[in-house]
Amino acid sequence: MIRRILLVMVGVALFTGLVAYSEGAVMVYVHEKKPEGHRIWVPVPALLVDLGVRFVPEERLRDALRDLRPWLPAIEAASHELERCPDGLLVEVKDRTDHVMVSKGGEMLRVDVDSETDTVHVSVPISLIESVAARLDTSDGSV
Amino acid sequence: MKRVLSGRVAGFDARLCWLFVLTFAAAVATARGEDRWLHVKVDDTDREGEKVRVNVPLSLAEKVLPCIHAHDLEGGKVKIRGDVNGIDLRALVDAIRGAGDNEFVTVEDRHEHVRVAKVGGDLLIKVREDHDRSKVDVKVPFTVVEALLSGGSDELDITAGLRALTAQGDTELVTVNDHSQTVRIWVDSRNTGE
Repeated sequence: MIRRILLVMVGVALFTGLVAYSEGAVMVYVHEKKPEGHRIWVPVPALLVDLGVRFVPEERLRDALRDLRPWLPAIEAASHELERCPDGLLVEVKDRTDHVMVSKGGEMLRVDVDSETDTVHVSVPISLIESVAARLDTSDGSV
Repeated sequence: MKRVLSGRVAGFDARLCWLFVLTFAAAVATARGEDRWLHVKVDDTDREGEKVRVNVPLSLAEKVLPCIHAHDLEGGKVKIRGDVNGIDLRALVDAIRGAGDNEFVTVEDRHEHVRVAKVGGDLLIKVREDHDRSKVDVKVPFTVVEALLSGGSDELDITAGLRALTAQGDTELVTVNDHSQTVRIWVDSRNTGE
């Protein structure tokens, strides 16, 4: 009996994981380049971010959107267009100490930063950027 | 008989379906193949040694620009600030287009040599400073210049310019070479820089 319950629980957990990650995941990796520097790796299911944004109260969004709102249609259009672009390096800035790259790989937009103090890798599903921008753009605009 | 006929019809439908799918796939592949990319390459040779590379599909810029409403950029058009001394830029471009290949402006002094000319279908601007230590070359196809000036008299229609640029072949737009920096802006069909 216990074995069955365990099996069901594992099944439910696997199914939940599969559903949660079906839309991809936002990956954040940070490595502090110092002795005993932290290494942080956070995978967040895209579905969770998408749902999370839908449940943020409008009044909370208002302040956050004040500066961002004019750019939301552009972000939405850019991500929509990016989805159909071939993979490749979009922007690269390099100097003596820092190296920043923005690239498209598969359905993900990647940002890689390598500086004297930190290494940061962020990857976000492009479809998530589009849906979040669309959601924010259609939220109450009374700022 | 009926079964044979329906089998043929079904076979015909399947072939038609495949033909449609193949045509659609070819159309998509062609459309993707024709994507034009704007590349920017900046190399600083001073102590910081900064290097910048930008590869942007023109279609992306074309779609995004009309959505930006900030500062002087409004719906893909940018307001020309400053005094153009009452010059009708469109009339000027029309006049130059009608004329043959020629050098229209030449400014020379001890340090600087500026030349504006029309060569083939392109508007060329060449600036040389300090005995060729600094060189700036700008080449803009006339169709792009016309598209840029197709909006109001005091604005540049950047989206129309990009659309016209998309129709051009591989084009070297800007080259800057001086003692500390090289800049290159060009358009081609590759999604990677050099």
